[in-house]
Amino acid sequence: MSILEYNGAAIVAMMGKNCVAIAADKRLGVQLMTVSTNFQKIFPATEKCYIGLAGLATDVQTLTERFRLKINMYKLREEREIEPRTLSHLVSTTLYEKRFSPYFVEPVIAGLDKNNQPFICGMDLIGCRDVPRDFVVSGTASESLLGMCESLWEPDLEPEDLFETISQTVLNAVDRDCLSGWGAVVHVITPERVITRNLKARMD
Amino acid sequence: MEFLIGITGKDFVLTASDTSAARSITVMKSNEDKSCDLNKHNIMLYAGEAGDTVNFAEYIQRNVRLYGIRNGIELTPKAAATFTRKELATSLRSRHPYQVFLLIAGYDITTSSPHLYWIDYLGSSAEVPFAAHGYGAYYCLSILDRYHHPNLTLDEAKGLIKKCIDELNNRFIVNLSDFKIKVTDQDGIREITI
Amino acid sequence: MRAKAEIPKGGFNFDNYRRNVFLEKQGLGLPKAIKTGTTIIGIHFKDGIILGADTRSTNDTIVANKNCKKIHYLAPNMYCAGAGTAADTEQSNALISSQLELHRLATGRQSRVITAVAMLKQMLFRYQGHVSAALIIGGYDISGPSLYNVHPHGSSDKLPFVAMGSGSLAAMAILESRWTKDLERDDAIELAKDAIEAGIFNDLGSGSNVDINIIEKDKVEILKNYAKPNERAVKEQSYKYKRGATAYLKEYVREFIVTEGDAMDIS
Repeated sequence: MSILEYNGAAIVAMMGKNCVAIAADKRLGVQLMTVSTNFQKIFPATEKCYIGLAGLATDVQTLTERFRLKINMYKLREEREIEPRTLSHLVSTTLYEKRFSPYFVEPVIAGLDKNNQPFICGMDLIGCRDVPRDFVVSGTASESLLGMCESLWEPDLEPEDLFETISQTVLNAVDRDCLSGWGAVVHVITPERVITRNLKARMD
Repeated sequence: MEFLIGITGKDFVLTASDTSAARSITVMKSNEDKSCDLNKHNIMLYAGEAGDTVNFAEYIQRNVRLYGIRNGIELTPKAAATFTRKELATSLRSRHPYQVFLLIAGYDITTSSPHLYWIDYLGSSAEVPFAAHGYGAYYCLSILDRYHHPNLTLDEAKGLIKKCIDELNNRFIVNLSDFKIKVTDQDGIREITI
Repeated sequence: MRAKAEIPKGGFNFDNYRRNVFLEKQGLGLPKAIKTGTTIIGIHFKDGIILGADTRSTNDTIVANKNCKKIHYLAPNMYCAGAGTAADTEQSNALISSQLELHRLATGRQSRVITAVAMLKQMLFRYQGHVSAALIIGGYDISGPSLYNVHPHGSSDKLPFVAMGSGSLAAMAILESRWTKDLERDDAIELAKDAIEAGIFNDLGSGSNVDINIIEKDKVEILKNYAKPNERAVKEQSYKYKRGATAYLKEYVREFIVTEGDAMDIS
């Protein structure tokens, strides 16, 4: 078993029409034993930008703290909020600094920039950025998530349609993964509001 | 072969740990207390590598106490758990990492709510309604999942712990003879028997 | 309690090394990083250099990105195609690119290709092949067009045409059979495209589209997705779920205060 599979996770971000969505499951396990069904894997970086971390739970939590420090330091130094694209570079260099002794996480970033242009970004554990125009996935369920995304996603989804698409993507993908699931949370980020919903999911 | 368990109730946390200190195949002591009071309303249960456990627990306990003395305000359960997690995650990057499994149970007097944190030796921490460490967890989590609810009374919680212990006595190959059971609520920490 | 906020000094950090060795000993396999599994080429033609690349990045056998960018910016007159571990090629290019920019600002002169090559190979040699970046650097400077490749261990060649990455064998076969001195621009672009397509179709690590960069005197043309030999068929039906199909337990809405109209005049 790989270290990335020790705790289990499924995270996905999708682009919509003037909006983005990011979703994650809520399980924390130790290999096949489930410890918590309310584990937070997506964290707000700014008002309109969220970062999801899949991988080894201890590193998820350590990096959350480090990113919180770095984002706050950026805000103090620059006197403005960090842009999603800038954040993705910050995350990338933070991970690449540990090229030869990595943190075992694969981050996903989703947000709207200052002109409300949608931005999503995925990364491997040493910070190789992937900035697609459709969707990114990460975690132990990434293969089934990719399959769901490829069939369900289409361009220019409105926020409510994007919610349905991303929710069904996560719910169906984790059904084929033993290590993730047990509830899911979805954030839909639009220029006017962020809608956060806890999905009703299978608990097996 | 150690066993720790914690259950949050309506306005308390009930915790229990086995009391045997074993080395290899020999039981050296059968009345070991595997918990320490971090402050008046927070208790930490520990298991893992002998030596590491007490050393780490005392280090955390003294730092939490020092914080209380310095600042005149005690750490909440969440703050204590976050601090402990960070120390464990940092220790993991050293030459000799602590190998300890922890449960931090506490009553937050600022919000009048009970909290329980599960922390493993890698420094993963999660707030949970109930938790267990050790092989016993494999037997008990299913029982807890079936019978636990947020408005548990102390009597119900005692019954639940008893169910878990009975199951271990029935099915678990190792004989964990005795358990130290403690309640943490707004009056502080006290030991009870069931 | 101790405050332990560290400020990174730059360079690689090995803090997690001991822990990761420890985790490996626990029987937990170390995960793999994304590789490019690439076909990249560079060729000389009459007036300059052409760089070509495919657009597939892989994570083991899974395609991580179907349309990624493998030709990176180094300087206004210089680009670099990368193969190997994707993060390594990207980060080493970014590092050298920023050093070149500072060098230009300090000297007020155009960057030279040989400078970039020297900096890259010295860096790669220092890391003894552990930074696994295989690069093709093409540019046009005071000494005319030039084309180099650099291997992960830090060795380099100056060549009229090169191919690298897992698809280099297929691409090189095309280049060897058709490359001649002083190719016309259009012929050279076709040759580059055919070489990359050979990689796309014959190497499993390479795929999707063809990216082409043409570097001439004071002129760079970037042809992203110059050829798309693997277009996805259009979906015949929409698989959109009806609104309200997903049940949820809780909802939180954070409304933003959106200011309409022009910004306040503060002059």
